[in-house]
Amino acid sequence: MSGADRKLNHVWRIFATGFVFMLFGIGALVISVTIFPVLRLSTWKADTSRRRIQHAMQLTFRAFVETMRVLGIFTYRVEGAERLREPGRLIVANHPTLIDVVLLVSQMPEVDCIVKRSLWRNPFLRWPVSWAGYLPAASGEELIEECAATLRHGRSLLVFPEGTRSVTGRPLHMQRGAAHIALAADSDILPVTISCDPPTLSKGNPWYRVPAQRFHMQVVVGEPMAARDFIRDDEAPVRTARRITQWMLTQFDAARATQPGHVGATGLPWLAEPAQQHQVR
Amino acid sequence: MSVQAKSREEILEHLRVVLSDQFELKAGQIVPEANLYTDLDLDSIDAVDLFLTLKEITGRKIQPQAFKDVRTVNDVIDAIQTLTSNPAG
Repeated sequence: MSGADRKLNHVWRIFATGFVFMLFGIGALVISVTIFPVLRLSTWKADTSRRRIQHAMQLTFRAFVETMRVLGIFTYRVEGAERLREPGRLIVANHPTLIDVVLLVSQMPEVDCIVKRSLWRNPFLRWPVSWAGYLPAASGEELIEECAATLRHGRSLLVFPEGTRSVTGRPLHMQRGAAHIALAADSDILPVTISCDPPTLSKGNPWYRVPAQRFHMQVVVGEPMAARDFIRDDEAPVRTARRITQWMLTQFDAARATQPGHVGATGLPWLAEPAQQHQVR
Repeated sequence: MSVQAKSREEILEHLRVVLSDQFELKAGQIVPEANLYTDLDLDSIDAVDLFLTLKEITGRKIQPQAFKDVRTVNDVIDAIQTLTSNPAG
């Protein structure tokens, strides 16, 4: 690309990014007051309508992601998507960008999510989010038990253990709630690593800070581990939760280390070694 | 294990053993000034667990309110001393 082409492309992507942000906001509103209520009313059974609404979420998110791709804003690749579609798994992912949830949900016909309070307070989104069977972010034990209950019912749950978007270049800071959920539910844990090159839509970055080149996102779905396999002897859950959280961190760092240009990103010195298989026992 | 009339040092020593095992901490981290949350990386779930452990250590029925303001290892030792010096369980 010549310098002029590059500049033009950059300007185009800024407009396109602004456009899709607007599209998302308006689209969410419109779908929330049309399609979702229709789906909710399509059956008496709340569980059936939940599944239909979750499927509709996947389709609309997929359409949105494809729109971004077609407009040249980004490209993406998903490895191991079939592992995302097994039911009853706790799916844990790192969280580098604003569109992580959209990209992941676009791959799954059925998944539960934990939704932050501000969305639940939005008068338009509040009902669709609750009909979708999503869980409101609450504190501590209550949330863990609610999440464990959905897993026990055979539904998959998506959680971001960092709790918020990562800060590029800093080590990941993981909370242990996800590990507690997996232990309480006695479920499998599926690690998913998301990477974004060049980093964009990250914490603190406004939408118009569009990178000089089209960005690429990669979603690598790892191998599941059963939470119970982490338990040693008769130890307290708080100890196992620490081990599980450390394992998740290792999974994320190992997958990030294989991305070009990301070796130093977490700031952890041992990432200079080749990515190793993590042995639990 | 009874902790009646134990000195702060003895309680601290006992806490060191319990905390390092339960929360995978190094004994050297467990000093009286250490903040449970910011220094020892305990979260709200760990706090509940610690509370239950202390009930076992002291053999007393503890009201959760007694631990509401506990932030540092010193606070924990204070709370244990207060509880075990009170004969009514």
